[in-house]
Amino acid sequence: MTATLPKKSSAPPRAGRDAPHRRRRGPSAYAVLVALAAFAGVMLIPFVVVVFNALKTPEELTSHGPLSPPDGFNLDTMRAFWERTDFGHVLLNSVLISGSVAVLAVLLSVLNAYALGIGRIKGRMWVLVLLLMANTVPQEALVYPLYYLSKQVGLYDTRLSVIIVFTVIQSAFGTYLMASVLSAFPRPLLEAARIDGAGRWQVLWRVVVPVVRPTLSVLLVFFFVWTWNEFLIPMTFLISNENQTVSVALGVLHGQKLMDTTMSSAASLLGLLPTVVFFLIFQRTLSRGLTAGAIK
Amino acid sequence: MIKAGRSAAVLAALAAAALSLTACGGDDGGSGGKELKLWHYEAPDSAMGKAWNEAIKEFEATHPGVKVKFEEKGFEQIQKTAPMVLNSKNAPDIMEYNKGNATAGSLSKQGLLTDLTSEVTKRGWDKLISPNVQVTAKYDAKGTMGGDKWFGVPNYAEYLQVYYNKDLFKKNDVEIPKTYAELTAAMDKFVEKGVTPLTNAGAEYMAHQFVYQLALDKADRPWVDAFQRYTAKANFNDPAWTYGATTFADWVKKGYVAKNSVSLKAEDAGVAFMSGKFPMMFSGSWWFGRVAAEAKFDWETSTWPGAKMTLGSGGNLWVVPKGSENKKLAYDFIDITMKKKVQNILGNAGGVPVAADQSAITDEKAKKLMADFDGLTRSDGLAYYPDWPVAGFYDVWVSQIQKLMNGESPSKVLGNVQKAYDDGLPK
Repeated sequence: MTATLPKKSSAPPRAGRDAPHRRRRGPSAYAVLVALAAFAGVMLIPFVVVVFNALKTPEELTSHGPLSPPDGFNLDTMRAFWERTDFGHVLLNSVLISGSVAVLAVLLSVLNAYALGIGRIKGRMWVLVLLLMANTVPQEALVYPLYYLSKQVGLYDTRLSVIIVFTVIQSAFGTYLMASVLSAFPRPLLEAARIDGAGRWQVLWRVVVPVVRPTLSVLLVFFFVWTWNEFLIPMTFLISNENQTVSVALGVLHGQKLMDTTMSSAASLLGLLPTVVFFLIFQRTLSRGLTAGAIK
Repeated sequence: MIKAGRSAAVLAALAAAALSLTACGGDDGGSGGKELKLWHYEAPDSAMGKAWNEAIKEFEATHPGVKVKFEEKGFEQIQKTAPMVLNSKNAPDIMEYNKGNATAGSLSKQGLLTDLTSEVTKRGWDKLISPNVQVTAKYDAKGTMGGDKWFGVPNYAEYLQVYYNKDLFKKNDVEIPKTYAELTAAMDKFVEKGVTPLTNAGAEYMAHQFVYQLALDKADRPWVDAFQRYTAKANFNDPAWTYGATTFADWVKKGYVAKNSVSLKAEDAGVAFMSGKFPMMFSGSWWFGRVAAEAKFDWETSTWPGAKMTLGSGGNLWVVPKGSENKKLAYDFIDITMKKKVQNILGNAGGVPVAADQSAITDEKAKKLMADFDGLTRSDGLAYYPDWPVAGFYDVWVSQIQKLMNGESPSKVLGNVQKAYDDGLPK
């Protein structure tokens, strides 16, 4: 019905895509390619160093330094860390917390943004300013008030407390972003739906959400990765080892005066892999989501 | 419609999972006398980790029906969250905590720790621990160490010593120094041969510990008490501090300490020593186990040449939180860690035990480590650490000594330290 709208917007990029195709044969394009490859290589260096050190024994590290490649394929440090922190359980905690936060925060963001961006409630400007300001408050300032609140309601040292806190924190940003996306939502689409007899609820789920789906999946991935990497609040709220997340468990390796470089590398590699895997999986659905949106 | 239904189902499943998990997480504690909840932050292969692991086994053997629920914690987590944890009902029954005014002292002042004085005298722990080591376990009403009440029990001690790479000494034909004059003479020889004698880390504790040690060479016990326990006004422009800072600046100029070590971390400096790049490292007994495991050369340790006092103190403390539900069991556990058996394990693993049997320590180097420490406690030679007296002092020391290494005048650096010290003094 409104196929003209997206089609119009997708036509110019296609023409634009053909243009660089011709230019790619020029030497400047190759220079850019080489520069990008070099840049990617530089970006990968820290990752390579982590992999090297994760596979070394402490003795190797001491005698050859952190930058040398490992002698063999030593997985003992990784296994030792896994057992020392009961890492399988820790991973499960992180997946549970980050997953719930990602889903709940996206949901909350959409509902908020529907009211602000499409419903255009009164004073929406101020609500957005407030949310933006809430985003700039450093977490250190939040820790004590949240500690007292969670103690009052008996949620201290539970995963639920962290899920609630981060759902709110992440959806503050999500609402801000989605509100501006939805305020630019094609009005004719909404009107058409309303003429067809759709209520507010149906408009949201059957018109708005499918169209902004790509943006929502990007938000979902971001929320997941951001929550995964959070340290301060999980450290303060998840004091029992059975509730710990990955980033908190990594802290076990930093002693008061000494640190274990090989085990820290092995552990950060273990902690990093799930986010990379998650990102790769959703990278594919992201592009699929993009085309699905265009057809609609 | 279908899509919305599916995501709602996923959502509901996640929410249900979250709820059920929190439900099973909430039922610990309150199991009166059946479980001892124990937290510490020592690595399992460290001397303390090994000894305490044994203590847990022994505790479970002597207390049938009681399980020790041990959780290894990160140092930073305990440091940052202890006041919050101890103020909640999720506090452990017994935990390791950092000694000092800003840490254990501050908790005791807030009333979050149990006063152990009567237990200490009843079980005779005060007889096992030498008075010099006791200082960091006892706090007064203001939370200043060296007070009258016991708020913790140290299981081990720590002090600074010089680690010598004997192979490098032999190769360069230098004698291992016994006095301060011999030390500087030895360093001159190394510099002549193009070897930097001392490993150093300007970005962490190592650099300012040199300055404090050099100042201690010209100081006495009342000077230390004034600085550490506020018994008198500390003056950073006195001869001792001035000598310390000036001499260290001089050492940097002479090349005893590499100028580019200004930005290094302690870990870098330690690894550089253990890989055989430096003949000497002046640092704590906490490196002992690692040097023993990782150094491939012949080495030995000794206290700072010619020193009457050196940096050192009792180790971290066992504290019993105010909200501990099993105080009796906690005391029993401390008692086991103070027994000869556990103390000897600690000593043989490269720690400095406070109440071990010298004859039971089999390793030669560990024996020397312990004998040197005994010498220090007998002569009242532990002078604590320079960053202890006021909160946030560590960062001040690091940045000021970095300036000193970069050529700032000693008097200006000490003036800045004085200002931070005076501002931070407990009111």
